[in-house]
Amino acid sequence: MLRGDRDKDTICAISTPPGVGGISVIRISGSSAFNFTSKVCRFLPTSPESHRVYFGNLVHASSREPIDEVLVTYFQNGRSFTGEEVVEISCHGSPIICQTILSEFAILGVRPADRGEFTYRSFINGKIDLIQAESVLSLIESQSQQSAKLAIRQLKGVLSNRLEAIEDKMTWILAHAEANIDFSSEGIQVVDDHIVKEKLSVIISELTSLVDTFRLGRVLKDGLSVVLTGLPNVGKSSLLNLFLEDDRAIVTDIPGTTRDVIKGDTSYKGLKFTFVDTAGLRDDTTDLVERIGIQRSYEAQSDSDAVFFIFDASSGLSQEELVILDSLEPSRTYILGNKTDKIAYNIDLSAVKQLMSASKFYQKIQDTDEFFKRRMFFVSALDKNIRDEVFKELVHEFSDLQVSNIVLISNARHFENLSRALENARRSSELVSGGLGFEFLALELKEALIAVQETLGKRFDDQIMDRVFKEFCIGK
Amino acid sequence: MNNINFDVIVVGAGHAGIEACLATSRLGLKTLLVTSNIQRIGYMSCNPSIGGLAKGHMVRELDVLGGQMGIAADETTIQYKRLNSSKGPAVRGTRVQNDKHLYSSFQKEALLNQENLTVLEGEVKRLVLDKDICRGVVLQDGSEIHAKASIITTGTFMNGVMHIGLKQESGGRVGDKASIGLSDQLAEFGFEVKRLKTGTPARLLKDSIDWSKTIPQAGDEKVYPFSYRSSDKLKLPQILCYLTRTTESTHDIIRGNLDKSPMYCGLIEGVGPRYCPSIEDKVTRFSDRDSHQTFLEPEGLTTDLIYLQGISTSLPEDVQDQFLKTIPGLENVKVARYGYAVEYDYVEPSQIWHRLETRTINSLFLAGQINGTSGYEEAAVQGFVAGVNAAHRILGREEFILGRDEAYIGVLIDDLVTKGTREPYRMFTSRAEHRLVLREDNTIDRLGVLASKLGIVSSASLGILSALHEKRMLLHARLKETKVYPTKDVQELLLKIPTTALTKSLSFEELLRRPEVSSFDLEALNFSVDKDANVFEPVEIEVKYSGYIRRQQELIEQSKRLEELLLPPGLLYSEIRGLSNEERDKLQRIKPRTLGQAQRISGVNPSAIQAIMIHLKGQKKLKDVVVEPAP
Repeated sequence: MLRGDRDKDTICAISTPPGVGGISVIRISGSSAFNFTSKVCRFLPTSPESHRVYFGNLVHASSREPIDEVLVTYFQNGRSFTGEEVVEISCHGSPIICQTILSEFAILGVRPADRGEFTYRSFINGKIDLIQAESVLSLIESQSQQSAKLAIRQLKGVLSNRLEAIEDKMTWILAHAEANIDFSSEGIQVVDDHIVKEKLSVIISELTSLVDTFRLGRVLKDGLSVVLTGLPNVGKSSLLNLFLEDDRAIVTDIPGTTRDVIKGDTSYKGLKFTFVDTAGLRDDTTDLVERIGIQRSYEAQSDSDAVFFIFDASSGLSQEELVILDSLEPSRTYILGNKTDKIAYNIDLSAVKQLMSASKFYQKIQDTDEFFKRRMFFVSALDKNIRDEVFKELVHEFSDLQVSNIVLISNARHFENLSRALENARRSSELVSGGLGFEFLALELKEALIAVQETLGKRFDDQIMDRVFKEFCIGK
Repeated sequence: MNNINFDVIVVGAGHAGIEACLATSRLGLKTLLVTSNIQRIGYMSCNPSIGGLAKGHMVRELDVLGGQMGIAADETTIQYKRLNSSKGPAVRGTRVQNDKHLYSSFQKEALLNQENLTVLEGEVKRLVLDKDICRGVVLQDGSEIHAKASIITTGTFMNGVMHIGLKQESGGRVGDKASIGLSDQLAEFGFEVKRLKTGTPARLLKDSIDWSKTIPQAGDEKVYPFSYRSSDKLKLPQILCYLTRTTESTHDIIRGNLDKSPMYCGLIEGVGPRYCPSIEDKVTRFSDRDSHQTFLEPEGLTTDLIYLQGISTSLPEDVQDQFLKTIPGLENVKVARYGYAVEYDYVEPSQIWHRLETRTINSLFLAGQINGTSGYEEAAVQGFVAGVNAAHRILGREEFILGRDEAYIGVLIDDLVTKGTREPYRMFTSRAEHRLVLREDNTIDRLGVLASKLGIVSSASLGILSALHEKRMLLHARLKETKVYPTKDVQELLLKIPTTALTKSLSFEELLRRPEVSSFDLEALNFSVDKDANVFEPVEIEVKYSGYIRRQQELIEQSKRLEELLLPPGLLYSEIRGLSNEERDKLQRIKPRTLGQAQRISGVNPSAIQAIMIHLKGQKKLKDVVVEPAP
């Protein structure tokens, strides 16, 4: 995107997803948006009303042959999403019609928009702040109801408001700390240490609570990723199909059927889940492809939010399986004993506990009762009800969540910045009564302030802009 | 004086004028200094002291670059103090009391003996303008003097009005006439000329004070002179100052007479200094405080006059008499001169460039209080910068502009031209975002190279300067390279300091980084340290605070990216999309030099900076595009 000549021009793009749909929307933004449109929509009045819809035939500019019946919405300069004059054309949702209309505009001299350019213009025209720009991206890409709610809240500026309140408090302390330094030679103490300390502790607790929401925020935005792991032929792929409610993975009774990582998405109570089925873990395979698959299984595990360790309940936990368990982190592990349909007797949980009790994995469990109550399942891939049962526990920690009432961070950039700010705020608090003096406290707090302002987009940093706007898709 | 041509004319011989004319004449330019009163060259119109927090920093910076104020202050010091000596290294500041008559005569001698410099007593009525170029000045008798550059440093004299109570009198200072005409001409030319006010306290007669009711305050034993060229043995005998306080009755009297204070009854329209408030201001604004401290400061060794620090006032004489007598020690005080306020014209400083030349009239430079600053030090450094730039213009050299990361002087001028000012601008350490790097102790290291490039200081002085710098570097290098090993002897010595024993070998630098270890402790470990505080102190500070200093350096590097992006002088902001009208107006008016400066203009948002940057990149070449979204 170039400023200067290229930036004064008028741009257009299809703003609805590609493919066949009921209707498509073409958006045109720039100082000549209306002018250009009236050349192909000759039914438009010379001075249109903002936010009004006009109906008529869109025609070829030269031949005046009709292309489609369209609805044209006009937004006057300053009252649109981009802050510029905008026209939105709703046409029939055929890719051919859309392309024909776009090429009409191209012939007239309207440039196809670059990735993220509409939002970018909106940002530089001061219509939205950086967080809001990022939210537009999130909203467009949100794949579940919850994440859309979160994005809309951020678009409304909820996070910005919270951060601005923190920014205010930081500025207050900085101003007073500075005054203390500047008037020290005149015997005037502008603010007492304990007041600074109190104010700082408020900032620290507010930042902490925001930073702590990151995991939750990210889960809401990106969903929860779950990796299925275990020895070959314990029924991982059957369970995957069950969880996805889809026959995604090939299921056979030959061990080692799944060689690569298979992914699938599903949702439950408005949250998105990505399930990853991996190759069964066995060391003795000589098959190169399978070995690479196993390697990938390990990698997938380390990136995931939860790991489902699956074993064959009809044959019990083997020594080899206990070794694999030891490599897992109990806090995000769920153990599923599969194939209960093959056993006639009741499973003795205490025997399983007994078997595990010597393992490293067991020792790492914080609350064993809780673990075996919530994290241990005996299931059969033939029983459809277990999906609910397992998912209920998976969302347990998010179940009380009222997204509409809390402020969450879901963006890695915000998380990094605010974690930095928190670190600085903590150190300035330690410096209040330390021997180093207020100028060091001021330095720490200044850095914290910079981090908060960067999050808010109040500080200019070309690299941040780059990162944010590169993620956008054309038409947004 | 008819038809005589000079290279540079300096108008005004206050603290700014002195530095300006010395800089140009030392750079070899034929300079004329015009002052209305030759006896008052370098006069301390207000407090008889130089320095203070942030101000002391500037005096030292000026000294390294080749300025005059530091030496004059050292030569005439009658009390030396390092403020905040127990606090962090960046907020220590030097402040001295001076014999004000000796200070003034020292400066007068310096000017009269300066090669290339002519001093003329006279009054400047107007500028000689040739369209938008200043060709010289017109004196009271109508004679014209021409020069390639003119520097105006008229302080509080432009349309100066003095107020004592409801009485008013034209003048820039008691005993001196105001200068009339100049600011009207500037205003006619389209300059925004506004009013400011400042005040000064009463001067008291020494023998009328009951000193037993005051607390004597001595200066420091250890002296770090402002100038690296001065000896640390002070020339003059040192005196005591005396502390006393206002009382509730003082405040009652002041409160009861506010209607007679020109500031409070609306007679003065100018804005006063928030940071150097009058006693009327203090009593009103800090109404919860029942007492304010004040120092009784002798104005010199031989004079009977005592300066009453912190009690500037413009109340009527009888009210001043009344309230002074309620201050312990002043019950029978006799006033030699009453306090008064001065209201004067200043030129809104966002109308000048960083080089202190005005934006609209070429070859016309402004420096000092005329630019809205307060304080001798703020004035002096501007005088110097204006002088050097006027000279550089004539000599065809580059502009001389100090960065905000290089010197307080850079911060001062950048603030003035970028933000303008509505009240008398006083320097504070908090105005510098790179405070830990801009310390009093490292001015030589910061500005030494620049000083040798400027060529104002003599080669002998440069020798002292570089020798000091090298000694510091050497000491630092030795600290880094030399190791101390955990032998039995070493461990015992360490426990004596006391500090914890070593677990492995350390460099002396790492050892010195421990808060409880000082440079002197290293001597016991057979590491010799230069005894000169000018050598070991800066090094010790660099070592001890290296973590913080490094972080500040990183911030400087980050901001440099924007500071190095120069904006073309003719940039038309009206052509840049995405700027609000307010932003467009401000940018068009201030014409920032760099993108960094643009960012500091209040009311200019980051999105605007983005827009400017992309506009520029877009005009140049496609390769350089900053925001280049993926296809």
